[in-house]
Amino acid sequence: MEEERLISKKEVLEEMGISYGQLYRWKRKGLIPEGWFVRRSTFTGQETFFPREKILERVARIKDMKDEHALDDLAQLIAAHVNGKLEVKLAKLKRVGWFDADLLRSCCGASTSQEAVSVWQAFVLGVLSRLRQSARDEEIDLVRRTLEQERGKGLLDRMSENGARLYLLRKSVAGGAISAQVSVVALAEESAVFDPEIEIVESVDLPSVLQRIQLELASDGRVGRDAERMGAEKDRPTGEKGEEVKR
Amino acid sequence: MSDERKSVSISGAGKLGGGEYGRVTISGSGKVDGDLVAEELRISGSGKVSGRTEAGQITVSGSARFDGDVVAEEIRVSGSTRVDGGVETKELTCSGSFRAGGHVSAEYLKATGSLGVGGDAEADIFRASGGFDIDGLLSADKIEIHIGGRCRAREIGGERIEVRRAGGSLLAGLVRILGVGAGVSRLETTLIEADQIVLEDTTADVVRGKEVEIGPGCRIGTVEYSEALKVHEDAEVKERKKR
Repeated sequence: MEEERLISKKEVLEEMGISYGQLYRWKRKGLIPEGWFVRRSTFTGQETFFPREKILERVARIKDMKDEHALDDLAQLIAAHVNGKLEVKLAKLKRVGWFDADLLRSCCGASTSQEAVSVWQAFVLGVLSRLRQSARDEEIDLVRRTLEQERGKGLLDRMSENGARLYLLRKSVAGGAISAQVSVVALAEESAVFDPEIEIVESVDLPSVLQRIQLELASDGRVGRDAERMGAEKDRPTGEKGEEVKR
Repeated sequence: MSDERKSVSISGAGKLGGGEYGRVTISGSGKVDGDLVAEELRISGSGKVSGRTEAGQITVSGSARFDGDVVAEEIRVSGSTRVDGGVETKELTCSGSFRAGGHVSAEYLKATGSLGVGGDAEADIFRASGGFDIDGLLSADKIEIHIGGRCRAREIGGERIEVRRAGGSLLAGLVRILGVGAGVSRLETTLIEADQIVLEDTTADVVRGKEVEIGPGCRIGTVEYSEALKVHEDAEVKERKKR
């Protein structure tokens, strides 16, 4: 866990050329997750540290959206997600390759004739679309059921703070003439370790899927236009952000 | 949908079921059972809402108690109000006593009475001239504190923070000379971080800022500054560091 490199608040301010005022404002708006603030006592007293890569990337991104309105919209998007008021247009899902008519019907109980899905449905689709290539049908269903089961326990709210990875695992069991393969789905930390006989079929960084939805795909009636503009700008350069598998 | 919302008034003792209303007035002793959505809520006697409250405007001049979260455009309290949950509003003005169990978030927060917050207190502008007790972080773009009682927050952060000792009134001066309540009317915190900081009568372990002015009556452990530091002769600063 402590593999992650930390950076002090002072260093963030210096390196990114921002002020205390900005940092606290962004924190209030919910643009910087509570869980990223790591308090440590040092020889100069209490100091706050952040996961280095995450905070620098986030600050750079916020600085990109120069005008305050865009910032407010972004904050609203993140807040609205918490209230469950957000939706994701199917057209946008198509653009990032998350759209799959079969998955949409079978997993989300949604029809292709509707225009938008909820953040949760988009999240499930985002995760499943990553597995579509390598996973079998029953494994897809197993993943979906795992996510559903954790949904009620506040998975979406929890994971942006704690981080979480979804693993699809297979293990072969052979006994005499019979051999079988067992599929396992696990939600665990990035640093999770499995026994050598386990094959990691696929692993998905869940917070990055949600972040992508929040920052680029989702829209709220009131802020639709801005979010769309933001999404359009960000789509290309960032590429498949949810796709990176950090190992 | 329902543009014809009912308005209700309780002037004796009464109970009201939760639901959506236009204006709810409680001038005797009233209780709302369940979640309340109202355009306006006025409590001038004693009122209680047992669920979550969502309102355009809330005015309390008597005593009010909210068992759940409170979300409102504007909250004005001149009596005594207790919220067990969190509070989210654009404008919160309290001249009486206001106590929230959870976070308090406002665009403009003005407290001239006594303010108690169990979580963080967040605002664009925070003005206090009474006393306050904030268990979490006090964060605002502009924080103006005129110490008028015991002021306490775990941490304070923002763009500009200005803390002044209790006005130049005769009484305040007398109180200081006699040493009555010395050490009570102060701001106490562990950490203050802002771009511009001006402090008086403040106790803090660490102060970090760009331009820092430590005024009379301060007792500070460490000051870290990047541009300018001024320390009054009646202030105590154990350690200063320029970055």
